[in-house]
Amino acid sequence: MEVSNIVICNHGYIPSLILKQAVTEIEKCNSYTSQFGLTLSHQEAIELVETRSLALQSNGRIEFGGGVTNKIIKEFCHSPYVSKHNYAETLHELIEMFYFYKNETLDLLSDEELIKFMKTNFDGKCQGSLELLAGRELANMARNLRYGYSMDYSDNMAEEEEDNDGEY
Amino acid sequence: MEKIQLQCLNFLAYKCERYNNGESSSIKVDVAESIMKSNLYTIGTYLKSLPDTECAVNELQKGSITDIYQKGRKLVDNKVKAAKHFYKLNQSNKLITKNYTYNATLSDKGIGIFFKAYDPEYEAHEFPASIDYQLCNPVSDLVGVEFILQYLKNLYLENEFCSKFSAKDIHYLLCGYDESYQELLINIFEQVLTTALGCVLTHRNPEKLAISPKEIHDLYKDIAGYATHTLDLLIYQASEKLIEELNITSSSLRKYIDKSLPRITTNLVHAIKMNNLEKVFVSQINPDLEPKIMFSSGVKMDDSDYRKLIDELLLCRYSSDKLVLIKERVKSFDDLEDVLFDGQLNKEELPLVFEFLGDVEIAALINRHPFISDIQAVDLSEEEKALRLHLNEYIGQISLERQERIYKIMAAFPRESF
Repeated sequence: MEVSNIVICNHGYIPSLILKQAVTEIEKCNSYTSQFGLTLSHQEAIELVETRSLALQSNGRIEFGGGVTNKIIKEFCHSPYVSKHNYAETLHELIEMFYFYKNETLDLLSDEELIKFMKTNFDGKCQGSLELLAGRELANMARNLRYGYSMDYSDNMAEEEEDNDGEY
Repeated sequence: MEKIQLQCLNFLAYKCERYNNGESSSIKVDVAESIMKSNLYTIGTYLKSLPDTECAVNELQKGSITDIYQKGRKLVDNKVKAAKHFYKLNQSNKLITKNYTYNATLSDKGIGIFFKAYDPEYEAHEFPASIDYQLCNPVSDLVGVEFILQYLKNLYLENEFCSKFSAKDIHYLLCGYDESYQELLINIFEQVLTTALGCVLTHRNPEKLAISPKEIHDLYKDIAGYATHTLDLLIYQASEKLIEELNITSSSLRKYIDKSLPRITTNLVHAIKMNNLEKVFVSQINPDLEPKIMFSSGVKMDDSDYRKLIDELLLCRYSSDKLVLIKERVKSFDDLEDVLFDGQLNKEELPLVFEFLGDVEIAALINRHPFISDIQAVDLSEEEKALRLHLNEYIGQISLERQERIYKIMAAFPRESF
């Protein structure tokens, strides 16, 4: 792994070379996302890198390599709820959410599993609502993992089980 | 310098990726810090093994951090193996003693935890083990497996020395130090070595670890005027003689004894100043020979008689009548205890009952119902709390001579009698 790929964000210091490389990587995604009518300007790419750095810093994490921004872009660009009007704004929120729930899930999920979960619920149950995604689906899933349940466990399921048993 | 730092960062990135099994690109800062410390510890282990600083600097300048780490890792693994070996040696030359911390530290739930929980890959600098037993020469400047290894080496030497004496003599000696030494955080080697040196100074056989209080007093008279450096020399000469008499040939044990001497001399100097040499050179006590009081509470009265007595007590209008009833009808200590709980005696009546009890009965009552703080007494019944409180108040009111008599009687009760 190259030194230039290391991002140490808890010191609030991002060498310009690393910043440049991250921005370039995000800009490269435009060639893929443009088929969905979604592109990011140079300035927006810089802002996304800054958001990622701030999210890492505020969640007490450190990242090596290219990070997950590209993976999030490629996963969410074909969501029916993402358009050129909310594209950049949605990505900012998703990046913040991602690092917050990495901690909340106690690192029990891999990057890909977490992004997949976010995408499935964003398009499905939440119907494009970032608030529902963060405040309900991700929060419930993280709580389930912390208490040792499966990711999709819900209180309703528990109640149904109790009713079936007829013991409670 | 920058090159080394960048290599360390690259290596950290590699280790973090392995830690995450390649499934996560980010990691918590505290975990990354711990992995970095572990890497540097392993690298440091190798660099410390080189003959001098110059070699270490050369290695850092010419070699790659990954290679140095791998060499360090081999050393760490070897040290773990060596620590396991010393752990087994310690198990085989373990002292037979009742000291709790000694036994607990040398058990599978003490140092034994280390060999199950140590993670040289990501936490090489940690030493997950429960080590409460304090060495005479504590290991203070090492961490990780190096700490455990050094601790076990030192403990082995201490055991080796103590094995020159019989377990019974050590037990009597430690009883002389404190009868409840089983629960104390003491170092057995230090006590044994000090007393053995005392034996040499008083021309006694050190193997028996027996010095009488008179000999200690005479020794005090001899050395009271000595300056610190003279005492240093005296203790050193005594240690030389001790090593000879005990036929200690191991050079590492001799060095360890030498290393322990300044601590003993300091204790000696302090004891001479405070005129309590008997706290440093301890006389043996055989606890089995100490006089004991056997307490028998007598035969309990019949249940129906007891119920009648309680009914009558509850009907009594005057305290004096209650006292007369108790005096006449209660013949055993267990009945008396029951009456104190069931008789609904008030705070004026309880001291009157205590008044007609003898010292032995009061001592037995305190032994069974010692006064404890409100927080500790949270599970006790109201009657039990009241009895303990009033008993404590009563003890505070009686004369100091009687208090002392009662405490002496309490100390003479064998523990298992309550």
